[in-house]
Amino acid sequence: MPMPLAPQKHTLLEDVQGFSIALITTAIGLTIIAQLGFITGQTAGLALVISYLTGWSFSWVFWLINIPFYILAYFRMGAEFTIKSAICVTVLSILVAVIPDWMSFEHLNPLFGTVAFGILTGYGLLGTFRHKGSLGGLGVVALYAQDRFGVRAGVVQLCFDAVLFSVAFFLFEPTRVLYSLLGALILNGVIAFNHRRDRYIAD
Amino acid sequence: MKQDPQAADKHTLFEDAQGFIFGTAMCAFALVMLKDLGFITGQTAGLSLLISYVLDAPFGWVFFLVNLPFYWFGYKRMGLRFVLKTFVCVALISVFAELFPAFVSFEHLDPTFGAVMLGFMQGAGLMAIFRHGGSLGGIGILALYLQDATKFKAGYVQLAFDGVLFLVAALLLPLPQVIFSLLGAVVLNLVIAINHRRDRYIAL
Repeated sequence: MPMPLAPQKHTLLEDVQGFSIALITTAIGLTIIAQLGFITGQTAGLALVISYLTGWSFSWVFWLINIPFYILAYFRMGAEFTIKSAICVTVLSILVAVIPDWMSFEHLNPLFGTVAFGILTGYGLLGTFRHKGSLGGLGVVALYAQDRFGVRAGVVQLCFDAVLFSVAFFLFEPTRVLYSLLGALILNGVIAFNHRRDRYIAD
Repeated sequence: MKQDPQAADKHTLFEDAQGFIFGTAMCAFALVMLKDLGFITGQTAGLSLLISYVLDAPFGWVFFLVNLPFYWFGYKRMGLRFVLKTFVCVALISVFAELFPAFVSFEHLDPTFGAVMLGFMQGAGLMAIFRHGGSLGGIGILALYLQDATKFKAGYVQLAFDGVLFLVAALLLPLPQVIFSLLGAVVLNLVIAINHRRDRYIAL
């Protein structure tokens, strides 16, 4: 088994290509579910719910929602993480706004779209995490809550999604929410099975 | 060496299965879009696309058949386990590529965006397949076999194959499609060249 003594750090170029690939695939996944009228978890899900209810563009809502979290991220995780997150969120917002000009569907089966979203966006988030970025938002609050109040970070995120999906059940048809749940499940499966610091060891 | 199924050094059967389903679904989705755009790509997938355009034949079947002769070289060079994994991956892509057009079709797909995005998606899919010890068969295996037998470098065999494939494509298809296809193939190979590193993703 090849076991390097000192796993290297990603170079700037490697990070740039990593984030480019990750953000484009994430954005394609979001474009697919936005077209189908589905939601997902976390701040992206909240932004989708708000954009469906108000008719505002997902990109602006998502970009604005994330701003308060940067302040917490700066104090909690430092400048580099905050800047990387702000860049990722901004680029993702722009991509989701422009991709419909480059790609539109004649026909999109909801089940196929749901699975494609889970795989594409799960892969994109995995790439973002492996290159030490994030898509901002709740993760930072969850980590803060864990430190400050002793509530586990995962539980905070799960509670947020539970409330978000419960509210969604009142607002949208149940089939839309059920498809959304399946997509979120696949997305989280891709990350849970593959995001392992003991296997992908570069920093 | 630990026998723990969660150990870092070895993928479990379930992990390999989800890796292969992810990788083949990603590649098949990309191939469906390539076909929609009328583009080709390198290696046996590219040859199969070209044949499917010229003969108006279903890509999934052509890809499955084109790969059949190469399993023998794979067995001789890489062993049974590798050949079985490769066969499963090729079969999954063939099935997915035939199924997906029933679920998704495009009204509009920008060629530049398509070439880059499909390079990313194919790169992601292939890398997952490689990291889980599989392959998409074809020329790569033959190239390794020839390298052992004749000392002719495997990379050059693959490059020569793609060179001939794109030349033939330039004669048969409209030139812009071939140029966009080249761009996509460059992106795909860069994704793998930069990211497929056994010293960073260390599980087998």
